[in-house]
Amino acid sequence: MLFETNTKVNVHVMQTGESYPCATNESLLQGMLRLGRKGIPVGCVNGGCGVCKVRIAEGRVRVLGPISRAHVTAEEEALGYTLACRVAPTVAVRLEVAGRLAKPISKGFAAQANHVLTK
Amino acid sequence: MGVMRIGHTSLRVMDMAAAVKHYENVLGLKTTMQDKAGNVYLKCWDEWDKYSLILTPSDQAGMNHVAYKVEKDADLDALQQRIEASGGKATMLPEGTLPSTGRMLQFNLPSGHEMRLFAHKECVGTDVGSTNPDPWPDDIRGAGAHWLDHCLLMCEFDPGKGVNKVAENTRFFIDVLDFFQTEQLTVGPDGAFQLASFLSCSSKPHDIAFVGGPTPGIHHISYFLDSWHDVLKAGDVMAKNRVRIDVAPTRHGITRGETIYFFDPSGNRNETFAGLGYQAQRDRPVTTWTEDQAGRAIFYHTGVLSASFTEVYT
Repeated sequence: MLFETNTKVNVHVMQTGESYPCATNESLLQGMLRLGRKGIPVGCVNGGCGVCKVRIAEGRVRVLGPISRAHVTAEEEALGYTLACRVAPTVAVRLEVAGRLAKPISKGFAAQANHVLTK
Repeated sequence: MGVMRIGHTSLRVMDMAAAVKHYENVLGLKTTMQDKAGNVYLKCWDEWDKYSLILTPSDQAGMNHVAYKVEKDADLDALQQRIEASGGKATMLPEGTLPSTGRMLQFNLPSGHEMRLFAHKECVGTDVGSTNPDPWPDDIRGAGAHWLDHCLLMCEFDPGKGVNKVAENTRFFIDVLDFFQTEQLTVGPDGAFQLASFLSCSSKPHDIAFVGGPTPGIHHISYFLDSWHDVLKAGDVMAKNRVRIDVAPTRHGITRGETIYFFDPSGNRNETFAGLGYQAQRDRPVTTWTEDQAGRAIFYHTGVLSASFTEVYT
């Protein structure tokens, strides 16, 4: 990336304290993935599954595509909730991870799978 | 009695143009029909009925319903009686409810998913025809999927509260729809709970599958390819089209399928897989995968489950 010319802004994930540079022409999630970083849960990266739900606490973002209303209601969107895979930062952003994976999942396949892998 | 194979799935998509482009260019389906409501109907080159996928415009992803084809029209009446005798409700939708499709028996599975059965759909033939056919057509695009093969439904699973819709669906499919179980993954003390279940109504290792999770949904719809090489080529097609790949090519322990998983532009998961695995028969002993081997059951090579594969669905 010697000749990287895309404008980059800083994205700060409040829960984990992690920060990463994200281009203003890529989604908050793609920027994180491209760097091989972790912080926001990653799912379909297409606005449908809802696991990368975040709340934009500070900064501004630009919408890149539709987000599933099953995961972000219009009311929530007005409060700053969105899916990290479908917004690009226009300025530096501080965000809070808000998806269902942000809470510990105590039931179902996920818990069973983790149980299998950790015992 | 009656059920032959999966007939179609109806999926919700949030960007119709992107969805059609994906299913045409990446999977290789062709659009056969559109209706006034904006729904788009597609089929694979090796399928003979008019469509196997309905894309419906929506503000969210997920599955509207899955439909299976029965052999004879009278099977619909017989199955309606069996569903009602088992305590369920079933509604006969008149011919034309879906275009080019006969009457459909509509009901909800114990898991809540909407299922439909039909006996008639307009036959348009495969792309190589039925008289002295070539093995494949010249205009194959993308992965060139042969046919919609099966789907995997996520079903509510919370044994602590006595909820196991995987087991309930399995019972319903065996007792009422006359499927048979081929494989299962069990968890808990002495494997008391069926976490995943695979059922057949043909000679394939699965025609439908159920896996437990916190909420109901669609985990994936799956398309058949000829060979492992075709699975790798499908991966190339996805890379060329910047498709989000969820699971890179590997093999399942369950069903022995060679597979790659990816997402459509609305986040609905797709699979293309190769290998018919083994001959599934009603008298073949059911294969059981135990909790300590769940990783290998799902991803045979690494034995490691990825979080997105088990936790993400629409």
